[in-house]
Formats: sequence, C-alpha cells, structure tokens
Amino acid sequence: MSNSSSHAVIDFPDGLPGFEGCRQYVLLSGPAVAPFTIIQGLGPEAPAFAAIDPAQVVDGYRAQLEDADRVRLGATDDAPLVWLALVSPQQEPAPTVNLRAPLVINPQTLRGIQLIAAESPYPLDHPLRTA
Amino acid sequence: MLVFTRKLDQAIVIGDGVEITVLRIGRDSVRLGVTAARHMPVHRGEVYEAIRRANASAVADSQTVATIVTRLRDHAK
Repeated sequence: MSNSSSHAVIDFPDGLPGFEGCRQYVLLSGPAVAPFTIIQGLGPEAPAFAAIDPAQVVDGYRAQLEDADRVRLGATDDAPLVWLALVSPQQEPAPTVNLRAPLVINPQTLRGIQLIAAESPYPLDHPLRTA
Repeated sequence: MLVFTRKLDQAIVIGDGVEITVLRIGRDSVRLGVTAARHMPVHRGEVYEAIRRANASAVADSQTVATIVTRLRDHAK
C-alpha cells in the first residue's frame, strides 16, 4: 500500500443497500490486491468487499449519473469520479461483478454513493474477467 | 403498515417535505409522483431489493480478503 491517500475515509451518507448502518469505508489498493480494491467498512460488524473498476471488466463501460447523484456526491459536471463495481467472490462457477449498481466516489469531497438506477444495460452478475 | 385510500390527484405527505401524489390510475398499475429533497434517495422497491441481495453476496470476511484476492486474480486472467 504505497499510496497513503488511498486510506482516506469515504462517507456514504445513505450507506449501501443491506448495510445501511455502515456509512464510512476505507479503500485499500496497491500491488498486493491489484487489480482489485478492498472496500473495508469502519466499525463493529462492518462489511468488507472486493471491487474492481468496471471499465477493466467491460470495454467502454458507461453508466448514467443523475443530477441527484451528483448533488449527493457534491460533484460538478467535470469532477473526476472513482467507479468501483463490487465483486461476488463465492459465486459458482466463477466470481461475478455487479456492473449494474457500481459505487461512485468523489475523491474531492470524500463522499460516495451506490448507483441505484431504475434502468441499466448492465447486469448485477457479470462474469469476472478483465477486458 | 398505515393504509390510506387516495383518489386521483390526492397525495400523502411523509415527514418534512416528502409528498407522494397519485397521478394516474390504470387497470393494474398506478402512476405516482414523488416530491422530495434532491439529496433524498427515492428508489423502486424491487430494484433496491435486488441490489441489496447482490451486496449481501459480495460481502467478504475481512479475515479472508487475501484468499479472495488470489481466487479473483485466477478468474480475472
């Protein structure tokens, strides 16, 4: 973990569906876990997840952010955002990636959301293989 | 559960600033309008539930993260 800024605490004001009680997460990345990022919740009983940049799974990945999502992220139109899709490591026959509801993080405000779009061209369980 | 009978164009108000209005009544669906503050997330129940299940299947015991990364790397190749 050479990059100390990757340990900043990210605030998810709405939590994640199913884990609404946990609102603060740290991202752990670096050569030890690449190409994945570990998302570790803070606090007792906090969940941990493995995640990957969806653009590494599907070439040209593009998901729609609503204005309300930008408001919740405190993001301007051209703010660089970090996209991370959660991996389900125990799925058989192969792990899957949730491309439908990625986490979106604004590194400037240290705020994050899980994108919960009514419509999406991407599935909740895309097979994991990097593009 | 609180149960209300509403007619077309009637609304219910929840807390401070959430209003749900009946916009159209069809044979087997109703169209609802939700007015809420921009920062307040509003989702279709079945979409939220599907994502909740996906998140539950993604949760990793932090003790076994190293093992998981190894397995994922094998599959991601």
